[in-house]
Amino acid sequence: MPRGPRSLAMQTMAFCIFAMAYDLCFGYTNQCSLGHSVFFGVGAYGVVLSLLHLQSGILLGLLIAFVAGMVVAFLMGSICVRLTEAYFVIVTALFSAIFHLLSLDMTWLTGGDDGLSVTLPDISVGGVRLSLYDPMTNYYFILVFFLASYLLMRRITEAPLGKVFISIRENEKRAAFLGYDPFRYKLAAFVLSGAFTALAGSIYALTLRYATADLFGLYWSIIPIVWCLIGGVGTLVGPCIGVALMFFFQYYVSAWWTHYLILFGVLILVILRTSRKGLLGYLLGR
Amino acid sequence: MASEVASALLFYLVNGLIWGLIIALIALGLSFIFGVMGIVNMAHGDLYMLGAVFAYWIFSALGNFWLSLLIVPVAIGLLAAPTERLILRPFEGHPAVTMIATAGLSFILQQLVLMTYGGVPKELPMPLQGSFDFLGVAYPLYRLFIAALSLVIIASVWLFLHRTDYGILVRASMQDKEIASAMGINVNTVLVFTFVLGCVLAAVGGVLAAPVTQVFYLMGNDVILLCFIVVIIGGLGSLGGTLVAALVLGGVEGLLAYFLSPTGARAAVFAFMVGVLILRPQGLFGTQRG
Repeated sequence: MPRGPRSLAMQTMAFCIFAMAYDLCFGYTNQCSLGHSVFFGVGAYGVVLSLLHLQSGILLGLLIAFVAGMVVAFLMGSICVRLTEAYFVIVTALFSAIFHLLSLDMTWLTGGDDGLSVTLPDISVGGVRLSLYDPMTNYYFILVFFLASYLLMRRITEAPLGKVFISIRENEKRAAFLGYDPFRYKLAAFVLSGAFTALAGSIYALTLRYATADLFGLYWSIIPIVWCLIGGVGTLVGPCIGVALMFFFQYYVSAWWTHYLILFGVLILVILRTSRKGLLGYLLGR
Repeated sequence: MASEVASALLFYLVNGLIWGLIIALIALGLSFIFGVMGIVNMAHGDLYMLGAVFAYWIFSALGNFWLSLLIVPVAIGLLAAPTERLILRPFEGHPAVTMIATAGLSFILQQLVLMTYGGVPKELPMPLQGSFDFLGVAYPLYRLFIAALSLVIIASVWLFLHRTDYGILVRASMQDKEIASAMGINVNTVLVFTFVLGCVLAAVGGVLAAPVTQVFYLMGNDVILLCFIVVIIGGLGSLGGTLVAALVLGGVEGLLAYFLSPTGARAAVFAFMVGVLILRPQGLFGTQRG
């Protein structure tokens, strides 16, 4: 595979995990969070810091990042999930801002704007040593995590748990009458979403080989909403389409026009105008 | 020694309060736009940015800062009216959808400014020289002018809403658009008018802030979250609440900036606001449903 499209595919897959995880929260339980940059950043720093300070291997580092995302999401969720729509959005956005500001401030831990670079140790699985500096290994490594995340999330959404999520999205009161505590299920969706977002963040940090305070920025909270809305809310495939489309734009259009974000803004408006359910919803609805 | 600390604190406090007044101007616009048409305007910070950028352009073209206070509202009005009518109208009333649509607008505005104005932060000279002695602190005259003008604008917005016929139409549409239209109010023009008013308020905030901050194509991102917080804490549609919330936020942030780093101060304010929203989800002054 040529170099350009391969690195594009690797980043796309990392962001696909992010987008699917976000939709678990946004599309499946109708919680429009603006705080997912927290989990993204926590995941990225989780793996980078455990590589730097704990000398953990990459796999253990990813696990630490995943669990860290889960814990942070649980703490944040137990505060936010109870709030009604507008307050939920604002409080999650506040958390994202707090983490961003603190990460800029605490340069001794995070490296601030410049970030922390990391050298990746080899991974040894069953006696085989793999180096992520080999591009194809890196590619398959991310592919494995992308597929595993997709299958896991599909398993979750198709299980009874996922059906409860959808029932809460469709009508929270009725779900409560049926005996499902909306708070607990919404929190569960939030925590799962946070954990997978952290995984996406840690994989992204591994492809970049560094983490910076920027990953906590509001941009990373808004962009997943855009992915989901463009591709199709309430599905797992839709958000991936959104990511792919956006990356196609970023990669090919930015090559001949640096201000491609203008076109991107126009694209958002056009898609919202044609179909609120995104591209996938539009195609399926025809 | 103690008096030095006190005067330094006073300086920081006044700085924070004046910043709070600018925030109040922007947040008022945000509150109107949300209250009347249900648009969560993510591009609102960029209107503040546009105001500042226009002020910079007008200053470099005509050499006069004060003209921008006249030209910018007209220019922004001409820009905002068609935007509302042609682009945002179909999305109104769906907060989540308007959020994405205006985020798209925000991308477009920022990139347009980046293309024409460039990515380097620029500074404007102080339009008013001199300072004012205030309890032993020499305070720059222009900042006091900001405070005075913001208060005048906020007061006239209040008078407009509560003491004029058209203000009643706007308030009626804020309460219930459908009934207002059934009563024969031309809601269509009210919507365009409110959007223009909200945008102009933000842009004027930008003009006023231009000489005391750096004019930069991403400067809107610094204020947008603060304004959302002010609107929510102050209670939607409550003019007094918005003003008080903005002043409290600005003052507290100003005071904390003396003890902590500026980013630390802002983080502390945000953390405090999380607490407030958890304890009083209807805002400090709001009475609407939680």
